[in-house]
Amino acid sequence: MRKVGIVGMGTTKFKARWVDKTYYELAFDAARMAMEDAGLSRLDIDCAVYGIYNDLFQRQYQPDAFVHDYLGLGLKPMVRVNSGGATGGAALRIGYAEVASGLYDICLVLGVEKCADCYNYEFQSATPEVLRAILYTADMTYDNPAGRTAASGFALAVIAHREKYGNPTDEQMAKVSVKNHFNATKNPIAQSPKVLTVEEVLNSKKIVEPFRFYDNCLYTEGSSAVILASEEVARKISPKPVWITGVGASTDYVIPGNRPNIHTFESSRLAAQKAYGMAGLTHPLEDLDLAELHDAFTGTEIMAYEDCFFCEEGQGGRLIDEGVVMAGGKLPVNLSGGLIGCGHAVGATGIMQTYEVALQLRGEAGERQVENARRGLVQSIGGTLCTWTVCLVLEREG
Amino acid sequence: MNEQEREKWYAFEHQKYGIPIEYLKREFEKELSGQVPMDQPLEIPDKMEVIYKYSYGQQSRFFRELRENKKIYGAKCPQCSKVYCPPRAHCSLCYQPTEWVPLTGTGVIKTFTVQYISTSAFIKKVPFVCAYVQLDGTDFLLMANMEVEDVARIRVGTKVKAVFREERQGTITDFYFEPYE
Ligand SMILES: [Zn+2]
Repeated sequence: MRKVGIVGMGTTKFKARWVDKTYYELAFDAARMAMEDAGLSRLDIDCAVYGIYNDLFQRQYQPDAFVHDYLGLGLKPMVRVNSGGATGGAALRIGYAEVASGLYDICLVLGVEKCADCYNYEFQSATPEVLRAILYTADMTYDNPAGRTAASGFALAVIAHREKYGNPTDEQMAKVSVKNHFNATKNPIAQSPKVLTVEEVLNSKKIVEPFRFYDNCLYTEGSSAVILASEEVARKISPKPVWITGVGASTDYVIPGNRPNIHTFESSRLAAQKAYGMAGLTHPLEDLDLAELHDAFTGTEIMAYEDCFFCEEGQGGRLIDEGVVMAGGKLPVNLSGGLIGCGHAVGATGIMQTYEVALQLRGEAGERQVENARRGLVQSIGGTLCTWTVCLVLEREG
Repeated sequence: MNEQEREKWYAFEHQKYGIPIEYLKREFEKELSGQVPMDQPLEIPDKMEVIYKYSYGQQSRFFRELRENKKIYGAKCPQCSKVYCPPRAHCSLCYQPTEWVPLTGTGVIKTFTVQYISTSAFIKKVPFVCAYVQLDGTDFLLMANMEVEDVARIRVGTKVKAVFREERQGTITDFYFEPYE
């Protein structure tokens, strides 16, 4: 396998609604930024991988084909990836494989998502219709008719974790919310920058037991893109490529009732293990300088500390209590603001978080820069209670 | 558009998408009165819809038993003895064809949540409980809608029993769970 580097990247702002752009216009903005960053034109791109989650959000089946055409990449190969919330990370994994395999030298990996075109006239709000469009992701025969949502799916796992280990507590979850909203105040692309207190989070309205309003990420529209290149090409075109040194992926049973455990995300543990093994990383808490985890919900970010082996199983709550994962802590998590602070533009999210880590490794993260960051982790999870996980380890040279 | 043309537009969109006219008026009055500059983003209603006739395939008997006999059946693997509910025609672990076994309809909550916000199809039911229930005699969990007056009564470990609805359509919602002691 060939070494693969990130040579260009771009992201649009994440917003509640981009009423003035269609999904392929958003994709165009991110792709153009990534190409400018890499000093490449569309003619240099050999192939593309698109991460787009929900056809109903886009109001278009096979939306990848329309993005590809709009970017002027017709006559070049492309593929769409759709792995729920993990779509961004999964698209990167396929892009990595395209280049590492030697099949192509330069690959555009682009994620894009609209959502708020779903709209419920009666409630004068997008939310219930967005949730409805997502619920088609749940098993249509047995789970969808129960009225479960994405949030309640993850809540089921958090409650099971709490039952077994006594955490995450409401306070610990609130601290994650405060952290990620605050980190977002330093990120110009974030949808939800906020200076909150733990009390404000605890006083916000219940959405799904045990999550309150501020425990949830927001649905967002946006697009993020990175350009991957083989080592030989990367060294020629980029002054500071960021290398992808570890790629791990796994799945869990999509019907959570068939899993041996529901208090942990087995797919996340397996994906992290594989990525660490490939990157030659043995003590994640020591070896990583920062991590972007999939914090769709505060409680699942705490579970992710355990799933990514930052601590023992059941100890995740301690890491937020002790400030380990805060900006300036031993292993800051979600300096971008994560999904809670930036918003969750599903197909684009994992790519936005990869953009954040790569930006940090290039030393270009401005106010939120981690001093001398050398190695970072990106985790993308998605599907019914974490059916998919993709983990990427990114490193700079030297 | 003049007033008459606007009324026609509202009637058309109302008929096509079932959106009440008052909501349409609230949303589009300004747009259709020509008050929005030509270069502003233009929004209009739409809907994606398909009608199906789908088959439960080899799970069909499970749903007929619900509808006709108010009975819940599991599917047992003759090789590893695992019992599935939801049922499946073949054991996912050893690929053997499964056999139908009647269940008592009682079980225990393994994990649960209370929903205070939901999809447009369910929002009028909140707050309601979703739980993973392990039915007695089975090895896996069933996603279950609970109907319970006091959502605070529900715990991990709460014993529940299936209650069948008067009118049944041959869907998983032909029954729901209630706590019992
Ligand atoms: Zn078997």
